[in-house]
Amino acid sequence: MPHRLTTCTFCGVGCGIYLETAGNQVIGAYPSVSHPTNAGRICLRGWHGHEVASSPDRLKTPLIKKDGKFQEATWGEAFDLIARRLREIRERHGPHALAFLNSPRCSNEEAYLLQKFARAVIGTNNVHHGTGVYCNNSINVLMEMLGVPAASNSISELAASDVILIDGVDLARRMPTLGGVVLRAKLGGARLIVVGTRRHRLADNADLFLQIKPNTETTLYGAMAKVIVDRGLENLPFIKARCREHETFVSQIHQYPLLDAADACGVTPALIEDAALTFARAKSAAVLYSTSMEERTRDSVRAVVNLVLLTGNLGKRGAGLFALAEQNNLQGVCDMGMLPDRLPGYAPVTDEKARAELEKIWHSSVPAAPGKGARTILANSGSSGVKALWLCRYDPVSASMFEAANCLSQFEFVVAQHLFMTETAQYAHVILPTTAYGEECVSFTNTERRIQLAEQVVEPPEGLTPAWEQISTVAQRMGFAWSHASASDVMDEIREAVPFYSGASHENLAREYGRQWPCTKDRPLGTAYLFASDNGNKPFKFVAVTKPETPTPAPKDFPFTLVCGSSLYYWNQNVLIRHSETLRREYSILLTDYPEGFVEIHPDDAKELQIRDGSKVRLHSETAFAVSTARVTAEVRTGTIFVPYFERELEKRFLGSGRAGAVLVPVRVERETA
Amino acid sequence: MKARILDRTDVLKVVDLLQARGYEVIAPFRGRGRDTYFDTVTSQNRDQIQIHFPNPYYPPKRYVFPHIERLMKFKRNNGNLQIEPACEQPKRAIFGIRSCDIAGIYHLDRFYLGRDFRDVYYENHRKNLFLVNVVCSDCEQDIGQECFCVCTDTGPAARDHFDLQLMDLGDEFMAVAGTPAGEALFADSIFLKGTEAHVAKRRTILDQCRRRFKKDTTSWFSATVRYVTRGEILEKTWEEIGNRCLECGGCTYVCPACTCFTVSDRPIGPNEVERVRVWDACALGGFTRMAGGFNPRRAVHDRRNRRFFRKLAHYFIQRELSMACVGCGRCAAVCHGDIGMPSVVETIRRATAEVDEHEHASH
Repeated sequence: MPHRLTTCTFCGVGCGIYLETAGNQVIGAYPSVSHPTNAGRICLRGWHGHEVASSPDRLKTPLIKKDGKFQEATWGEAFDLIARRLREIRERHGPHALAFLNSPRCSNEEAYLLQKFARAVIGTNNVHHGTGVYCNNSINVLMEMLGVPAASNSISELAASDVILIDGVDLARRMPTLGGVVLRAKLGGARLIVVGTRRHRLADNADLFLQIKPNTETTLYGAMAKVIVDRGLENLPFIKARCREHETFVSQIHQYPLLDAADACGVTPALIEDAALTFARAKSAAVLYSTSMEERTRDSVRAVVNLVLLTGNLGKRGAGLFALAEQNNLQGVCDMGMLPDRLPGYAPVTDEKARAELEKIWHSSVPAAPGKGARTILANSGSSGVKALWLCRYDPVSASMFEAANCLSQFEFVVAQHLFMTETAQYAHVILPTTAYGEECVSFTNTERRIQLAEQVVEPPEGLTPAWEQISTVAQRMGFAWSHASASDVMDEIREAVPFYSGASHENLAREYGRQWPCTKDRPLGTAYLFASDNGNKPFKFVAVTKPETPTPAPKDFPFTLVCGSSLYYWNQNVLIRHSETLRREYSILLTDYPEGFVEIHPDDAKELQIRDGSKVRLHSETAFAVSTARVTAEVRTGTIFVPYFERELEKRFLGSGRAGAVLVPVRVERETA
Repeated sequence: MKARILDRTDVLKVVDLLQARGYEVIAPFRGRGRDTYFDTVTSQNRDQIQIHFPNPYYPPKRYVFPHIERLMKFKRNNGNLQIEPACEQPKRAIFGIRSCDIAGIYHLDRFYLGRDFRDVYYENHRKNLFLVNVVCSDCEQDIGQECFCVCTDTGPAARDHFDLQLMDLGDEFMAVAGTPAGEALFADSIFLKGTEAHVAKRRTILDQCRRRFKKDTTSWFSATVRYVTRGEILEKTWEEIGNRCLECGGCTYVCPACTCFTVSDRPIGPNEVERVRVWDACALGGFTRMAGGFNPRRAVHDRRNRRFFRKLAHYFIQRELSMACVGCGRCAAVCHGDIGMPSVVETIRRATAEVDEHEHASH
């Protein structure tokens, strides 16, 4: 019963786990004690993920839809049909009528080849990963202010942090092993500051918990920065040596007086001051925020980065800014250029020199016009002009992303690569079943830039091929001489295309526990934390953030604020979760407790309104009305009503369909008496 | 119990002897870094078997109680239902199992076989299992930071429940037979008669080993048994402990003495369903949730204290005549929030000390 060290592929932590196999079955999983990221700990998903591989629901042959019904087909038929239809649609509507979307769970090799297919074979930049605009906000801000769109430091360094600030994300639920690292750091003496509207497990353990009103982060960080500047606690040597536009930043800081900010954020001035002083006085302070938070504006991310620059928390151990990529390869698919406006390695598609470099490698021209993103393609009732869609392991319908179901039914041609007949795959014209985790050796990049191999531990069901190989086959049928014999060959091409991956051969990645990029030919062992040195040309830039308009006070008749959560409970719908015995049970508890869905309300508010857990409530806004079930929980802030992401109907009613990230709706809540 | 001596170079011949008797032999191997694991011995890996090593994290209990196990298979066939039970009885030996894990398997025996209902699946795995215990005598390699078997009275040398026990005396190993099956191996010529000097050496080494354990926290272990049994631990203390639980279930999965599982049916093909049992954990919300939706242990800390009641309350110890904690320390390493057994004992000690001080002050 062989044991093999591999990488867990559930979330962005990328834990080192061993899989034990017997015959061609995975029969057990457990964490590696020696892995630097998880050090012997994994979460529920890691312990039970192995129950998935042997699922009987796997698709085993290609399916082609004929007269509205799927029929089994040969691989040759499926590939020919795809090549022919893609060619036809391109000839008829031009290359920009095709689009390529993947899941942030795809491997680096798959992501790289899919965007290369779009750009080099089809001639469009319509490529995107499924998590959409929120992550791109973070990438753009980090590129603008730091020049590198990734977490600056390593997870294991948090044990050496003096202060850790968690912004918004419920780490214990979403990236539990990282949550554990923070918790252990706190137990070891670090001070823990938690900022956010929701109370969660780490908030319960925090030294300072700033339970702010929704969407007031920008104001809070502005006020903290002002406290730091007023008290003279800036790290001036760092700022002078490494940052630009400090004066501009300082000159606008007067916009954030402490008392006003406290009022706007709904926390005491003393707490804000305490948080600012704790943060500024730390020898090393780390900030963790999630790139997947729908409600976060660019300015609120800028405000966080300003705080990090002001205190000089970059370029040293135990400090840093952790832009958390929550899905297991969100970092990697972005690195690989699954972005409509950026090439592999993040150069803008408009950058002529960068395109020329790629054209040399690809022997094909690369389009210069930015493409369309997932939101454009999968919303607006299919009016984006896109006619054909390729979906690699992406299931936007089950995840209730955008208006995917409605749009998908209108495309002329949809290709889906997946393990299962997902709700999205139902809309496809061709389905290519593919290999699962553990059935192929590919690489993933975790949220601390660690490029790691997920090893092959079992043989795939007969006939199934890796998704990257299928993309390559279609490219060949469209006349391109792609000749990758293995995922390792694909990585060798990635090493040419993405400068900071140039040392990351599969052979190098297999040696220890992966390598953290930049992993270059000169630095084959990788880089634990970024910005240890620079060439003296001030790489960092402050960006002054205009104070958000003070929200008009809630109208008397509508004293509550309706907050629509993006993805707090998103694991329920994950296809891997649904195919694992224990995980399915655990992640469906909320839905079985509240079969008709729910909205969340704080116990104090519930008491006042005489609402019990599980009872029906009526929500009124100025323009809309809905009835839902109350989930009474101290996790939400008083005065807010939290709408989980799967309540799309409710969300649509209150926000309208063209929903923009950060809309808050004043509502009135009543007990349903009927 | 009979004892013999064997030469250092002959120690792996015990593996060969067992293989010759038809056993599939499981032994410890090294993974990357400090990682170790139990795996089947083959002619290729036989020479890589480890004698001194950090105890594998993934406990050998899975050879009697697998992580996931088929119980039976149902097949619909022309309107009939065929039921095919799974009833393998592997003939296995575990070479190099630590004393704490021996106590763990003994506890599972008490739970699954020791009372009115005998668990047939467990019995099938256990029936032909031969256990070769290797004593933790290398203080650097064998005894980890978190080990506390001296407090649970399960190590570093098991006193019983093994078939054969090996202990490194330097140039030689001492072999002790715990069962007639173990003693039968002594017929082989690698086993030699020992002397009083060997026995004295064993005692000296064990004495040194016992001194290597951390003294501070777990020396309060038996007092904690008393406090938990009497229900004297404050709700506040359990809340403090529960707040640090991230509900991963890891403590249960690495525990050599945890017995809980859930049963689930899943399709494995057209008209075919298998019934499996899978390790389950009291940390999980779905574990105690009733079918109707009521959960008697809805709050995390109510679930978390359950683990420590189950392990430390006298009622359970008396019921099984064995304690469900064997001092291996795995739960301390696996826990995100550091609420494994040693630190829970410490938390309870501290909380009790605070109560004492408070009472003292108020008098």
